[in-house]
Amino acid sequence: MRRTGFVYDERFLRHKTGPYHPEIPDRLVAGYKGIQEGALLEHLTLIPAVPARQKWIESVHHVAYILRFEEACLYGMTEFESPDNQMCQESYDIALLAVGGILAAVKAVMEGEIDNAFCPIRPPGHHAEIAKAMGFCYFNNIAIAARYLQQEFGVERVGIIDFDVHHGNGTQHIFEEDSSVFYYSIHEHPSFAFPGTGREFEKGANAGFGYTLNSPMLPGQGDDEFKMLIERDLIPAFGTFQPQVILASTGFDGHRDDEMSGINLSTECFSWIMERIMQMGDQYAKGRVISILEGGYSLARLPELIRNHVAILMGR
Amino acid sequence: MFVNKSMTRKVITGNPEMNLIEARELMIEHQIRHLPIVDQENRLVGIVTDRDIRSAMPSIVLDDYDSSDERKRLSGIRLENIMTRDLVTVSPMYTIQDALLLIQKTRVGAFPVVDDEKRLIGIISIRDLVRAFINVLGIGEPGTLIGILVDQKVGQMKRIVDAITEERISFGSILVARYWEEEDKRAVFPYLLTNNVARVKKKLQDMGYTLLDPMEWYIDKLPGNE
Repeated sequence: MRRTGFVYDERFLRHKTGPYHPEIPDRLVAGYKGIQEGALLEHLTLIPAVPARQKWIESVHHVAYILRFEEACLYGMTEFESPDNQMCQESYDIALLAVGGILAAVKAVMEGEIDNAFCPIRPPGHHAEIAKAMGFCYFNNIAIAARYLQQEFGVERVGIIDFDVHHGNGTQHIFEEDSSVFYYSIHEHPSFAFPGTGREFEKGANAGFGYTLNSPMLPGQGDDEFKMLIERDLIPAFGTFQPQVILASTGFDGHRDDEMSGINLSTECFSWIMERIMQMGDQYAKGRVISILEGGYSLARLPELIRNHVAILMGR
Repeated sequence: MFVNKSMTRKVITGNPEMNLIEARELMIEHQIRHLPIVDQENRLVGIVTDRDIRSAMPSIVLDDYDSSDERKRLSGIRLENIMTRDLVTVSPMYTIQDALLLIQKTRVGAFPVVDDEKRLIGIISIRDLVRAFINVLGIGEPGTLIGILVDQKVGQMKRIVDAITEERISFGSILVARYWEEEDKRAVFPYLLTNNVARVKKKLQDMGYTLLDPMEWYIDKLPGNE
């Protein structure tokens, strides 16, 4: 059994996205239900979320952008920069809280209080660019976590694995010239899915060339193709890179019952990728795996998907 | 959409007295494949392509490729001796459509753009047209492509556009392609600037449209797999 941290705060439910949006508070309720039903809750270490200090948001985002987002919320605007980004007055505060929760989990892992962590936070982050909200994302949670690992704990090699069905354009762009953060993403091919980046030939730039790796998946290809790509691309790349900490952009929207995509993955496949990530965590990163929720919109499937995910983190 | 909006204006040029080695180095330095040759009044007199250069050079398998004798020989070859004089040029008021059709017809990869006095004012290449096409597709912006099968009859596009607009979704582009599998059908590909297409897809299906399987999408196909 591993000591697994759990960043959960009911305030994450207060980021409201209106009536016609897939990224809704019920997603977290569904995940929580799965964890409860799996009788996992009492074995998790609850990590309280406190708002992140602006310093850490600024480690990734421009100050002017941060202020723009804050002001939009204060003025009561219900969308920010695109109709995709529906929000409410509290969204800025909740986004800060989400980052704060993640950083608390990172700290607890680095100080050895827990072995790994699951952060089911809202809003998600991997589409957020340095100065642009995109695809339901405002602050790039995982990128801020990586900067925090580098600047606060001196971690030299951070490995990011993004298995949300959409490419994490924000995360890729933030680190594309940085050889200390390896960004790997597997996602539905950008000619068929949002956001239109993450093509096979995007491999980083300048000093970061070779530290970005994308495995686009064609529609309908399913578990076998997914597993083949992970074995072919991710496993050898991380074997060479040897990350000292692994951060996962965890998205469950590649599931075949999720209407947001078409790559046709089974529930079992999500367990498989998490087990594979845990193996790499043990091999290279002293088990330090921090999983941060991105997408996943099937309320019917999220309970089992998140239950399995957490059980694997816990080593049960 | 005239050529003068999309053409490259800062043209790298050569002159008839330039030698082969100078031209080759210039083209490598600027990563270009077409070198227009102009006289002292900037009037177009010819063009040299990377293929012209390569066919004037010795094979790279020869040992003396870089030898001083060989360099001497190559630097004695002037561009006026190898350049193409029989040129396809276009005017700045040619349209992008003209240029596309001309590329297809002539199989030439770049056209010098000249004014009425034959003075060189730009060059339009496949590369410029590719850039323009990427721009038209809207794929520089984040979005999601969907494919809809529609009857070839009046009013279909309005229904689709209205349905999508009602969902407050913006368009990056809309492509319409002939659909060879079925007579009188078109495939419509709206590129939607959103991550949120599940609802609109369902709505289109409820309206009676067939969404095409993404693995079967195409915008161009030779009839009968020629």
